[in-house]
Amino acid sequence: MNPLWRKYLDVRAPRYTSYPSALHFDEQATAADYGKRLGEVGLYEPLSLYVHIPFCRQMCWYCGCNMRVENDYGRALRYVRALNNEIGTVGRRLGGAGRPLSVHFGGGTPNFLKVAEIGDILGAIELALGLTDGTRLAIELDPRLIGDGDVERLAALGFNRMSLGVQDFDPGVQAAINRIQSFEMIESAVGDMRRVGVNDVSFDLLYGLPKQTAESFEATLEKTIALSPDRVAVFGYAHLPSQLPRQRLLDETLLPPEETRADLAGLADDMLVAAGYRRVGFDHYAKPDNPLARAELEGRLRRNFQGFTDDLADTTIGFGASAIGFVGGLYAQNAKTLGDYYRCTDRGELATARGLVLSPREVTIGQTIRGLLCRSQADIASLLAALSPTEANAVCARLESLEADGVISWDGDRIALRPEARPLSRVVAMALDPYAPVIKDGAARTLARAL
Amino acid sequence: MARRLVVKNKTLMVEGEPNHSLYVIVDGSFRLSKVLEDGRRQVTGFLFRGDFVGVRSTDASAYTAEALEDSSVCFFPHRYLDEIAIDAPGVKDRLIARGQTEYHKAQDHIVLLGKKTAEERVISFIELIGKTIGVDDDGRRTVPLPMPRQDIADYLGLRLETLSRTLAALKQDGRILELARHHVVIEI
Ligand code: SF4
Repeated sequence: MNPLWRKYLDVRAPRYTSYPSALHFDEQATAADYGKRLGEVGLYEPLSLYVHIPFCRQMCWYCGCNMRVENDYGRALRYVRALNNEIGTVGRRLGGAGRPLSVHFGGGTPNFLKVAEIGDILGAIELALGLTDGTRLAIELDPRLIGDGDVERLAALGFNRMSLGVQDFDPGVQAAINRIQSFEMIESAVGDMRRVGVNDVSFDLLYGLPKQTAESFEATLEKTIALSPDRVAVFGYAHLPSQLPRQRLLDETLLPPEETRADLAGLADDMLVAAGYRRVGFDHYAKPDNPLARAELEGRLRRNFQGFTDDLADTTIGFGASAIGFVGGLYAQNAKTLGDYYRCTDRGELATARGLVLSPREVTIGQTIRGLLCRSQADIASLLAALSPTEANAVCARLESLEADGVISWDGDRIALRPEARPLSRVVAMALDPYAPVIKDGAARTLARAL
Repeated sequence: MARRLVVKNKTLMVEGEPNHSLYVIVDGSFRLSKVLEDGRRQVTGFLFRGDFVGVRSTDASAYTAEALEDSSVCFFPHRYLDEIAIDAPGVKDRLIARGQTEYHKAQDHIVLLGKKTAEERVISFIELIGKTIGVDDDGRRTVPLPMPRQDIADYLGLRLETLSRTLAALKQDGRILELARHHVVIEI
C-alpha cells in the first residue's frame, strides 16, 4: 500500500448503509409518522423487506449485532407471534399498496427458527403485503444450526439466495472468537444448496480477527475459493469493546496490528480477483454471472442496510426488534429490546422507536456518498451547492488532501476513487460528509475502522 | 365505430405506445398489465365483455392489454368521439358510464389486495368476475376464468402454490361448488 495512505488506516468511518447513519436517529420520528408514510406508498411501488431474527444459540465474541443468546424455543415462538402481528399492522397501513420485490431474513440467526416458523412468517407477509413467485427470498444461515433437510425445506419455501457466516476456517481463529464450525460442515451446507438448485450462495468472511495471520487467512481464502460460492463479502472486524461490552470476552492481545489488517484485506482482494470474482463495492466480490456483479457492471449497484445490493426498491420495510425501514424519506427503526417491541406489537401498533426525516440536503449528500461507494465516482456539484459555505470549504479541503495523497482524482465537478484506493472508499465518503467531523469528536469510538 | 378481432395473446394496446382509440370489449377477455420499475410484469386487471379501455387518448399507454382468448372489440377513435361531442356533449361519458374502465379496474385491485386472508382475496375475485360475466342457472353461478392460474396469483399477490391451496380449501368447505381449469361454480 502507498505509504502516504498509512495515516488513513486508523480512521474510523461509518459504514454508510444509510445516510445519515443510524447514530443520528432520534425520538422525533414516531410510529405515527411511519404509519402516515406507509399509507402513502404507491399501489405497485416496489418494496424491499427485511425480517430480523435476534436469537443465537451461542455468542460469537466479535459480535456487534442486536442479538441475544436464547435456549428456550418458546421465547422464539413468542417472537414469531409478535412479528406476525407487526406484519399484519404494516399490511393494514399499506392497505394493499406496494409490491414486495425481495424479502431478506437476517439476524442474529434466522435459522435459529425452525423452517416451519420461517414459513409462517412468509405466509403472514404473503397475506399482508403480497408475495409472488418472482419475489426474491434471501436468508442468512449459521452453518452450525443447519439441520438435516433444512436447506431443502427452505428452498421449497422459495429461498433462492442463501448466505453463510463463515468468517474464518482456521480452528485457532475460530476458538479465539468462540465460533467453531468445521470445513466439512460448510462444505456439506454448500453441497445441499447446490443439490436443491440454489444458485446464489454467499459467504461472509471477516478479517482483523484474533490470531489471524497472512498464512492462516490465505488458507481460509483457498478453502473459500474451493467451495466456489457465488459471492463473497469480506468485512473488517470492528473492535469496539467500549460500545459492545461482549467484545471484551475476546482476547485483545491477539488482534492483528493495523498493518496486518491492511495486508489481509489486500490478500483477500488479490486471491478473489485472481479466482475470477469481480469486485463489487468496497467489500463484496461476485462471480461475473451473478446478478450482483451484473448490477455493478451496468451501474445499477445500490447500497442498503444489507450492504451492496442489486435490489431496485427504494422503499424498505423492516420487521422485528431494531429493524430499520425507509419509507417516503423517513428512516424508522423499531424498538431494540424485546420487551419494548412486544409492548407495541401486542397492541397492534407499529414498533417505531427512533428515526429521522431526511431533509432535502441530506438526500443530496446521501446520493453523492452512495454514488461514490457504488460507482467509485461522484459528481460533487449538487453536494457543494447543498452545503453551507463553511461546510463546503471543509469538504473541499478534505478532498484536496485526499487528492494530494493520490487517493482520488478530481476534475471539475467530478471526483473518482483511484482503483488501488478502493479500500479507502469509506474515508473518501467521510470526506464528503459534513456530519463526519461531529462524529469524529463526539462518537469516534462507536465507529468501525475504515479498513 | 368499427369492429376488430383480436387473436389470443395479441395486444390491443401496448404500454408506452400511443393509443388514440376507445375500445369496448364485445366478446372474450383481456389481461391488463404493466412493467414495474424493477422490470417485473404486474397483472393489474382483467377486462371482460362490456368493459372499456383506452378511455383517454395518449401518446404512451399506461398498460398493455393482451387477449386471453380470441376476442373481439369495437373501437371509437377519440378524434371521432371529440367531433361528435361538439354536437352532442357528454356522449363519451354516457358511453363509458355503461361499463367499467381501466380506472375501475385499478380500484378493484386495491380493494382485493387489501383483503386480509387468501380465501377472502380469492373468493372476492371470483365474485367480482361472476358479477360481470357469470352465467346463472338454478341458484348456481358459473364463473369463467379464462386467464392462467399464474396470472390470478400475480394479480392477487399470492404465490401459485398458495392460490392452488386456497382454491382447494374453498372447494373443500363448499364455497366453491365446482373447480375446473377455466371456470368455477359458486352459489348465488
Ligand atoms: S451468529 Fe451473528 S449475531 Fe449471532 S452472535 Fe454470532 S455474530 Fe452475533
